[in-house]
Amino acid sequence: MNSLAAPAAVATAVLGVLVVVLLVAVAAVHTSRARRLAAAQENRAELMAVVYDLLDDGDEQAVVDAPADLDEVLLHLLPQLRGADREAIQTALTRRGVVARAVADLDARAAWRRGRAATLLGSTAGRDHLARLTALLADRSVEVRCAAARALGRVGDPAAVHGLLASLTTARPLPAGVVGMAVLDLGTPVLPALRATLVTGSPAARALSADVVGLHGDVIAGPALAELLTDPRQPEDVRRAAATALGRIGDPGSTDPLAEVLVDVALPALRRAAAEALGRIGDPAGAPALLAGLTCPAREVAAACGDALVALGPEGSAVLADAAARGGPLGAAAAATLDAAPRPGLLVGA
Amino acid sequence: MRELALDALLTMSWVVLGYTLLLDLVMLALVLAGARRVSASRRWDGSEGHEEIFASPLTPGVSVLVPAHDEEAGILDTLAAVLAQRYPVLEVVLVDDGSTDRTFAKVAERFGLVQVTARPTAALPVDGEVLSVHRATTGDPLTVVRKTSVGRRSDALNAGLNVARHPLVCMVDADSLLEPEALVQVARPFVEDPANVVASGGVIRAANGARVSRGSVLEPRLSPRWVVRFQVVEYLRSFLLGRTGWADANALLIISGAFGLFRRDLVVEVGGLDALSLAEDAELVVTLQEHLRRQGRPHRVVFVPEPVCWTEVPETLSVLGRQRRRWSHGLAQLLWKHRRMIGNPRFGPVGVLALPFFLLFELLGPVVEVLGLASVVLAAFLGALDTSTALVMFGLALGLGTLLSTAAVAVEEFSYHRYTRGREVGVLLLAGLLENVGYRQLHAWFRLRGLVAALVRQTPVWTAMPRTGFTEAEPVAVP
Repeated sequence: MNSLAAPAAVATAVLGVLVVVLLVAVAAVHTSRARRLAAAQENRAELMAVVYDLLDDGDEQAVVDAPADLDEVLLHLLPQLRGADREAIQTALTRRGVVARAVADLDARAAWRRGRAATLLGSTAGRDHLARLTALLADRSVEVRCAAARALGRVGDPAAVHGLLASLTTARPLPAGVVGMAVLDLGTPVLPALRATLVTGSPAARALSADVVGLHGDVIAGPALAELLTDPRQPEDVRRAAATALGRIGDPGSTDPLAEVLVDVALPALRRAAAEALGRIGDPAGAPALLAGLTCPAREVAAACGDALVALGPEGSAVLADAAARGGPLGAAAAATLDAAPRPGLLVGA
Repeated sequence: MRELALDALLTMSWVVLGYTLLLDLVMLALVLAGARRVSASRRWDGSEGHEEIFASPLTPGVSVLVPAHDEEAGILDTLAAVLAQRYPVLEVVLVDDGSTDRTFAKVAERFGLVQVTARPTAALPVDGEVLSVHRATTGDPLTVVRKTSVGRRSDALNAGLNVARHPLVCMVDADSLLEPEALVQVARPFVEDPANVVASGGVIRAANGARVSRGSVLEPRLSPRWVVRFQVVEYLRSFLLGRTGWADANALLIISGAFGLFRRDLVVEVGGLDALSLAEDAELVVTLQEHLRRQGRPHRVVFVPEPVCWTEVPETLSVLGRQRRRWSHGLAQLLWKHRRMIGNPRFGPVGVLALPFFLLFELLGPVVEVLGLASVVLAAFLGALDTSTALVMFGLALGLGTLLSTAAVAVEEFSYHRYTRGREVGVLLLAGLLENVGYRQLHAWFRLRGLVAALVRQTPVWTAMPRTGFTEAEPVAVP
């Protein structure tokens, strides 16, 4: 071991130096923090005065001449503003060269620079950089791809929907949730494209399109959704998304296909989605299927059927009360459902 | 004979030295990887804002499960913190697991509980008898399940899972306080990548000493007890940076039972939490990964270094010893149960990186540490101890350990800066130095006893930790 003593002593000394460096750094950062915060607060008060001037009388030159710290203040304010104030801030950021720097950063080597640039362009730029942002959907970093998708959503150009839907199934796919939120941000102008995707898109795109048309309450998509729901060749998640969408749209015309799926299909998650959708629609015609599902061996399906019957209102409660009076396993399940149903009269102060 | 003993001692010393250096270097690599990720996320977090997640109709509902056994000291604070979560669709399921104190009475009084008929959403096996199910009449989305205790947290959680109604379940300890944005932050990966993310966890910090008001941590403060301070450094090093590093390598094995979010359908699919495991949180994560990997289904386990759950940590060595023995016993159970995954490339980074690490360094680490200490004592007894070499080696181990802890405290100070007082930062740095002498060895001893308990197949017993409750902030005087 003696032969190791010398190198070990050197290594220990190096470690000691590293520890001391870290200690000094911690002390320096801690002691300077309060001073820096105070200075930043003072600085911010001055910069806010410049911003207020800009928003009041449009003194753009003062904004252009202001120090670099103003960029952060403007970027912080931007998401909180709408209308003319937002446009004024966007123009100021463009004139200060922030947008141009972000565009240049889209090709940066560091992923965080590309991602931050995409985020910034999404908040500040118009539709000028749509192609660059769409190209970024294939970036090697997943964080950057997600940032590009969100930016496209914020820019709000319906033309971005095709790139976004395609990004679900590329070699570097984007997570469905990120794409879903971006497509939602694009609003109702993309509904025709989403309806077409329900028929022609990839399974991932069909499921996402079903989700989004449902969230928009798009009645026109109802027949295509019903077709997806009842088609046994469709993947389960597509059928589930179609069921949920039909429930959100709330058209009583969807009660029959949903009831059919609830009664005939063996997939518990799909049956649960169908039951929840029937509850949302609130059509008493769905009650027999829901009552039959109350004794389903899959507890989650039975619970969803119970909730849905309660959601039908007085008609559903009457069906439950009738079943409870008849006794047996179905009666017991119906009684438990009625007992567990929300009773507003019990609320304190109600 | 003496020659033989000296040769054996020398070999053991080499092994112990090499092992210690390797362990510390691996830990340093993990801490550095975690620090890199944390500092990168401070520059640009690369994720959706909380407002967007909160407002998104795609955000799934969460059932928060709170198992409680004799938690009267802090249960109302915990429930206040959970119910105050800024989350769009939320329900809380409190499982009163055979409490013998006023846990249920306090909750019943505060929330005006009324008994309802149980309407299960799953049929997971529960060993304790479910006595009754209650619902709040105050308008809070709170359900309370009363059951008899069988001395296992997993049993209480399975009872809660059986009545949970939302697609995600969040497991929170009854002695923990969630920050208001914690749930929305930890749920973000599920919203963004619903097809792949199966579990996510957040940061756990020690609440002992913090100023608390109605379930909110007003000001984090360090406890005056050194045993707590050592744990604060340990939590920073292992739970914050270590887990961030493991998650970066896609090999996260543990999501703390104090604060973890899971897909309910998958938890039910694997049969709920293992009734006999003492490390049911890690066990669930590994079971999920094994199950999904075997079926070729996509899955990601995510660690979000931002959301914070404040929890009470042991304040005495005896309680700490019980806790760490249980963890070690549970880890041994887990590794034995999933032994086919260890070193198996079929299970990806979890199989070839995380599980071997936990076997070699977490489970067997205390054996080597205790053997190393014994060899030093024996060498001194035999008069074969080269004092200068021993001191240098001790200095090296101390230097590595201190560097690890100092780096963890430095990242905390640079990035999160939760402890605002200079004196507290100094105390943390000092704790990072002092824990290497005494605390670390004692910790190894506790873990060794847990390993022995597992080897002799001692009946797993989940012992509840005595609670002191949170330090209520004094009301501010109005002039």
